[in-house]
Amino acid sequence: MDKVPVRRVKRPALGASTAAAVAPTDYRSTLLLGSVFVIATCGLIYELIAGTLASYLLGDSVLQFSTIIGAYLFAMGIGSWLSRYLGGSLLRWFIQLEILVGLVGGFSAPLLFLVFEHVSSFRLILYALVGLTGVLVGLEIPLLMRILEGRFEFKDLVSRVFTFDYIGALLASLVFPLVLVPQLGLIRTSLLCGALNVVVAGIALYRFPETRPFRRSMGGALVASLLALAVAFGFAERLQAYTEGLAFQDQVIYTKTTPYQRLVLTKNQRELRLFLNGNLQFSSADEYRYHEALVHPVMQALPQARRVLVLGGGDGLAVRELLKYPQLQHIDLVDLDAGMTQLFQHNQMLLELNHRSLLNPKVRVINADAYQWVRQDSSRYDCIIVDFPDPGNYSIGKLYSAAFYRALEQRLAPGGWAVVQSTSPYVARRSFWCVAHTLEAAGFTALPYHCYVPSFGEWGFVLAGRNRHWRPDAGPLPPGLRYVTPATIRAMRFFPPDMSEVPTEINQLNNQALVRYFEEDWGPYVH
Amino acid sequence: MPSSRRHFLQRAALGGAGLLLAPLAGLHSCAPGSSRSHISGSLHGANRATGHLLRDPASLPAPTRTEAVEVLIVGGGVAGLTARRELARLGLRPEQVLLVELDEQPGGNSRAGRNAVSAYPWGAHYLPVPDPRNHELLAFLAEAGILTGTDAASGLPIYNEYYLCHDPEERLFIKGHWQNGLVPELGVPPAEKAQLARFFALIDELRQTVGTDGRDAFRIPVDESSCDEQFRHLDEQPFAAWLDAQGFTGSHLRWYLDYSCRDDYGAPAAQVSAWAGLHYFAARKGRAHNANGADVLTWPAGNGFLVEQLRAQAPSPIRPNTVAFALHATPTGLAADCYNVATRQTVRVAARQVIMATPSFITERLLASLPAAAYRPLPVHRAPWVVVNLTVEGLPQGPGQPLSWDNVLFGTDSVGYVDAGHQSLSLTDAGPRVVTWYRPLSAPNPEAARRQAYQTSYDDWVRQALAELETAHHGLTAQVLRADVWVWGHGMVAPTPGFVWGPARAAAARPWQNQLFFAHTDLSGISIFEEGFHQGQRAARQVLAARSTGLA
Repeated sequence: MDKVPVRRVKRPALGASTAAAVAPTDYRSTLLLGSVFVIATCGLIYELIAGTLASYLLGDSVLQFSTIIGAYLFAMGIGSWLSRYLGGSLLRWFIQLEILVGLVGGFSAPLLFLVFEHVSSFRLILYALVGLTGVLVGLEIPLLMRILEGRFEFKDLVSRVFTFDYIGALLASLVFPLVLVPQLGLIRTSLLCGALNVVVAGIALYRFPETRPFRRSMGGALVASLLALAVAFGFAERLQAYTEGLAFQDQVIYTKTTPYQRLVLTKNQRELRLFLNGNLQFSSADEYRYHEALVHPVMQALPQARRVLVLGGGDGLAVRELLKYPQLQHIDLVDLDAGMTQLFQHNQMLLELNHRSLLNPKVRVINADAYQWVRQDSSRYDCIIVDFPDPGNYSIGKLYSAAFYRALEQRLAPGGWAVVQSTSPYVARRSFWCVAHTLEAAGFTALPYHCYVPSFGEWGFVLAGRNRHWRPDAGPLPPGLRYVTPATIRAMRFFPPDMSEVPTEINQLNNQALVRYFEEDWGPYVH
Repeated sequence: MPSSRRHFLQRAALGGAGLLLAPLAGLHSCAPGSSRSHISGSLHGANRATGHLLRDPASLPAPTRTEAVEVLIVGGGVAGLTARRELARLGLRPEQVLLVELDEQPGGNSRAGRNAVSAYPWGAHYLPVPDPRNHELLAFLAEAGILTGTDAASGLPIYNEYYLCHDPEERLFIKGHWQNGLVPELGVPPAEKAQLARFFALIDELRQTVGTDGRDAFRIPVDESSCDEQFRHLDEQPFAAWLDAQGFTGSHLRWYLDYSCRDDYGAPAAQVSAWAGLHYFAARKGRAHNANGADVLTWPAGNGFLVEQLRAQAPSPIRPNTVAFALHATPTGLAADCYNVATRQTVRVAARQVIMATPSFITERLLASLPAAAYRPLPVHRAPWVVVNLTVEGLPQGPGQPLSWDNVLFGTDSVGYVDAGHQSLSLTDAGPRVVTWYRPLSAPNPEAARRQAYQTSYDDWVRQALAELETAHHGLTAQVLRADVWVWGHGMVAPTPGFVWGPARAAAARPWQNQLFFAHTDLSGISIFEEGFHQGQRAARQVLAARSTGLA
């Protein structure tokens, strides 16, 4: 390659301000500066992809992000240092480099997804890939600066290259979370950026006369790379589903990362399952048991109910049960995660499951923090359904506190009743009774009950009202229920000895007794 | 290139939050090229420039007009604000009382700040659940909505649950692990555990002990404590010497006791008296229907919340940015020249009575032109402090108990940090938060420590704070969006041996000629909210008593 005739760039004498000696800006220089912008954008996106993937697959996002960024930047440093050893036709090096970055960076996300389940030392591959990408990306800017060296005065060169570099970084940091990940997902984002790098190589190859001698050979490599990336892009959907499926047994039919959690839907011949951050939320095979048990014992006792509040339950399945009572006029559903409620308002399969409940004109969906909302709202409800995640951390634990239940009581109309999903009285016996006792401490009459949901096991609920006027056969049940009957309700109120009441502390904001019980109760089952 | 690109990455990705942060006095940046180069923020000192005007009052302009009030309060810390509130409760009309404060806002050591992420404390940040016998304090808390009722059965106060510190309250980073609570447990040898148990058994006993005068041996306020010689003699020796003599020598116990003294007094056990060291523990007699004596009340703004409540509970004017100087006697009372830093004008305020709610070193300067009898010197050992408020994108956690309200690192110079977002009720745990890191600059010679503190750069403070926090939170530096620093040159009084029960303290609190009154925690020897509140109340009542004597 030393034989390739390249226009030698003249280096201005050190310290001399020789603007006249510097070639004026031509359109090729502009092209190269444009490519700085693309390169910077892609370079940062590879880093963000690796960080996101690592935190998603390995957990502990802060640690993963920090170490990935550190490793990546360090590798970039190595790349920058290595750039001094590249000589001869710099443009040729640059084109080769762009094709290589396009392939390595572009295939990084699909490769990491694929190897995650099969390789014991996933971390090693992750960091090797991050290191390799970093080295290659680190070579880019120094190389480009050397190519542009003679075309600008040094101060202009530095100023322009870095300006485009940083603007590219800004663009990447904005489009990655706002556009690319939501629209394309990680795998296709990665492949798209790879293709952009190859396109940069292509433009350089066909716009610079110096590249003529090697256009043909490199053009072939370039087209092959672009083709490979495009094919992978086409199969990305299936690839993503396949890789998720490895972790979830059944076929993954939908995944979505919201600001709060990762939603995964899986399906086999028999059932549809929803996982939130890997925890099963429901199985379509038996969710009717859970949701009938959650809704009907309280609703049958309130034949006059008009207004209902649902806290949590963004899947709309509790609302589906509620809508079986034609006397209801208004249902407010408060769920933090708009990603969740939108999914259950738009996905055809899920709309079939929840009977389009969240699209019903009687239903108002509010995406808000439940605690704040309950404290700030001023309306009253005849019935309140509390369907929060289990109290697995201190933030959620506050939603099971006596203070929260007192705030909830402010939202309950005279004669109204609430029902609270309160984890498994079999597995987490103290946790379950702690919820019941906390409701009592908040001034409610608490009526605990439980049912069996095959995919969950024994599950518990607590009815909470200001009086004891609750009967298991107070009013008519809607037709077509598969689980709940007056006899079922009576049976659900009975607790056999292995689930019967145990003394517990009251869950207060300043003791978080429930979170501690829950940790101890579930500990043996998860570890 | 990589470091500048990294800088850009953080600015671009996290800058959104940074841009919204309220602009504060003088933006400083960390050293370029360091791992902290992306960090910037403000550097405050408890208005040193304004305060130091007092060193040369002759340079301040002469008054252009004269105002008259009944009572002038100099100093807007907790004591001054409490006096203002109490005077209103005792019937003084708003126009009869004026409070002047040197700083741009009142609060003293309980000041607070706020940015787009959270409110945060600049100093004192909690109030222990009070002794229910402290009726005046309870009345204030009830008026502020902090105390919400009384349990009919037990007669004990019920506190607002949103203000009682939520669980998990405290954790200690020791041997690479976060343990629950601040008393070292992890890896503590059995012999030392026995010492810890013996110490706390002794404290339990002292908490119950009553002197021959019928008063509790240890009580808040200090002035309610027993005067018995058997307790008072504890004030004559250093806490450390007393601990040695009692065989409390275990390194973990001694670290914990040093930590406690530094936390409340800014000075280690070797510098405070044994009486004060024991008072820290044995005077905590809080009881409540829905909390226990170890619980505390706290807010994102720390005691800035209480300051705001005190301020709101009285209508008389507060004049900030105002330095009172040249107090002098007039035929009808006293007058103070008050220089406003913002308008650069001096107003002479004539008052029948003046309450000096200022630290002793300020009081001494202000009263220089009064007869010598007006001021009884009160030499105070006062350590400088540095407080760093870090706005962070996240807080990388180590193993053990999750992020708590108070987070202390065993064996460090600081007294740890508090999480301003701890009382949040939001489910969204992630996202930026503010943590407040405290470090008393305890030294046998506070003067030298203060000089050194004023010479330390913004970058050095941030470096020191992060170097310590990184040991428990690897990767924290990269998460910092902003670091704001406050250097308290004259922190708070340390109850050195002989201070609390010595003659100077009692003498300094005595009013002069029914005209001059004193209210400050310097006069308690212990700088906590309850004492500031007590001092303010006492002075306001003395003023009222003097007024009724004068009328009679």
